[in-house]
Amino acid sequence: MNRSSRRRYSPRELGLAALLLAPSIAVFVAFFYRPFLNLAYWGTFESRRNGAYFERVGLAQYREELASDDFREGLWHSVQFVLYTVPPGLILGVLLAVSAHRRLRGIKVFQAIFSSTLASSVAVTSVVFLYLFNPQVGLIATDWLNDPGMAMFAVSLSSIWQNMGLAFVIVLAGLQAVPDEVMEAATLDGYGAARRLLRITIPLISPVLLFLLVVLVIHGLQAFAQIDIITGGGPVGATETMVFKINRLNRPDNIGIGAVYSVGLFFITLAVTAMQFVILERRVHYAR
Amino acid sequence: MPADVAQVDDVAAGPAAPDVLGGPARDLTAATIGHSTARRRWGLAGQYGVLIALALVVLLPIVFTLLQALSPPFRYLRAGKPLHPVAVDWKDRTWLSGGAASVAARTLIVAALLAWVQLRAAGGRALHPAPLASPRRIAAVVAGVVVLAVLAGRIWAASLARADSTPWWWLAAIVAVALTQYLGFADRHPGWRGWLRAGLVGVALTTFVVVAFGASVWSRGWDQGDLGSALGRSFVVSVLITVAQVVTSILAAYAFAFLRFPFKPLVFAFFMGTMLLPLEVTLLANVQTIRELGWINSNTGLVLPFAATAFGTFLIRQGFRGVPPEIQDATRLDGYGHMAFLWRFAVPLTRPVIASFTVIAALGAWNQYLWPQAVIDDSRYQTAQIRLKTIVGAELANANVGVAAALIVALPVVLLLIAFQRQIIRGLTAGAVKG
Repeated sequence: MNRSSRRRYSPRELGLAALLLAPSIAVFVAFFYRPFLNLAYWGTFESRRNGAYFERVGLAQYREELASDDFREGLWHSVQFVLYTVPPGLILGVLLAVSAHRRLRGIKVFQAIFSSTLASSVAVTSVVFLYLFNPQVGLIATDWLNDPGMAMFAVSLSSIWQNMGLAFVIVLAGLQAVPDEVMEAATLDGYGAARRLLRITIPLISPVLLFLLVVLVIHGLQAFAQIDIITGGGPVGATETMVFKINRLNRPDNIGIGAVYSVGLFFITLAVTAMQFVILERRVHYAR
Repeated sequence: MPADVAQVDDVAAGPAAPDVLGGPARDLTAATIGHSTARRRWGLAGQYGVLIALALVVLLPIVFTLLQALSPPFRYLRAGKPLHPVAVDWKDRTWLSGGAASVAARTLIVAALLAWVQLRAAGGRALHPAPLASPRRIAAVVAGVVVLAVLAGRIWAASLARADSTPWWWLAAIVAVALTQYLGFADRHPGWRGWLRAGLVGVALTTFVVVAFGASVWSRGWDQGDLGSALGRSFVVSVLITVAQVVTSILAAYAFAFLRFPFKPLVFAFFMGTMLLPLEVTLLANVQTIRELGWINSNTGLVLPFAATAFGTFLIRQGFRGVPPEIQDATRLDGYGHMAFLWRFAVPLTRPVIASFTVIAALGAWNQYLWPQAVIDDSRYQTAQIRLKTIVGAELANANVGVAAALIVALPVVLLLIAFQRQIIRGLTAGAVKG
């Protein structure tokens, strides 16, 4: 900005800016910041039975509930879900995108097929997989949904399938941004297919893969519909993730504990998002 | 390792395996030019083999779901001939049953499809389609409709009776449709290529007609799940959310991109900070707010919390930054105010970005699940996505009705994806690739 433009703000422009920003700010205050501050405050109250009895307990409730078995269990289930869905998501994304990033006749058809799972919402996918796992008529006719050891794996299969389209689209966009000459030079230098993938393709698209990683981790931490529809949290609570537990605490008599859980989820999401910003920072340096 | 050794290794390891790892466009790179055509053919076959295998993995759940929707309910599965998939009970057993509107709609859809086939497949080129107004092509369209109308009825009747003649009626319909269509475009594609096209059209159209118009499971899923009201509600809510998000984002983005006001970085940080507070975190307090305001089971409660987004503001601000400053200066000299500049220049110039964001916002709104199930407790007011859970719970024994309802709910998104594929992909990858 040049110096001469740094004069006083014109009142008309100020008024207009306030007018244009007001709708967004109103929504953000009412449905983002105020509720979060409310939750942080409610977390210091212990609620009982019918919700009429509140007792101020201060940070003791945070200490107690964040260390409770129930919270740790929810956290572990969320982490489990992330561990089951993210690595396959990354691998399948690279596999699909590398296979479909060629000049072949009819490649557009394959690209359309690979991105087709984008059309399926989480609820639709969950219904499809619920019947896919049905012991009577399902394609994968197993008893996984009644087996505490396998239920989470079964649920994550639905998410792995659903994420394929997104992962494919993102990795393909990354591949298309790599100049063709780089690949041709590598081939001329005598790099085999495997070395080309590991030494050239993956490092070149690593910023995109990191972006995909963060997207998948956040999706995994926020998973709810697939658990609600496929297992309903069962069997014996083996698939109750963080968000599922928070939603279950959506009752006035539990609002104190629910608030603590929500704040806990916030800090976990914050850690992942902070990672995202570090990655974005790296990407900018890389692109220079 | 020299290039030809790698090639030999590839061939030795079998056609499929190494190409998973192959770089893009291997068959066009300079290194492969000197190689024998046999090797290249194997390489090509391998590449297609991998692509087809991966496509099968992606499509398997979809195909299985379609088959399941067309299968009888559980209790009939083991009776008689279980793998007579479409032989549930048919609502319409002939083309003409089911009411005048239904017959007219069916006929129009088939006629439109046939006309499209004749225009595109027959004309060959998208830019110079064959004129439809040729007697041959009009005859092909009319004859195709008549053939399908007559023979689809026979297929439905045979399926209902689980008769052994069912496959023969299928074959007859496919051949008859292929014959009529070949008549229409034999002048452009004579010989076996024309027959191949005609045959593919016959298979596709016969399957579409029999499955889409014949299987009563679609109407059962629709009626028993009361999907009409749920889809209507989802539609209204999605449109309201999308319009609200696009408008508030454009307005805020304009302020950030073109206006000068104090503490701009701070206000921008205030916007971006909302990305750290996803709905999952604020859910309980937001439900409380909606409850206090008395908006449980209302459209207001479904829309208002999503009326503004930081992501949209960010995306559109980036677009506005691409508007050349000269244009702004010129319009100012011409006496345009801010609002005129915004709607006549800034928005039209950033249309691709705004279009991408609009489609992404619509997609997100349509697919919402957590929030609707938290603020809707009366099943009459459910959106389509949460209605699915109710249907599945009620129809546990009827897998076909459950998956049929799921497929109906997915259909609008499928159409959206087909129509706006480029915008959706650009929106989804906005954060991944620079530019």
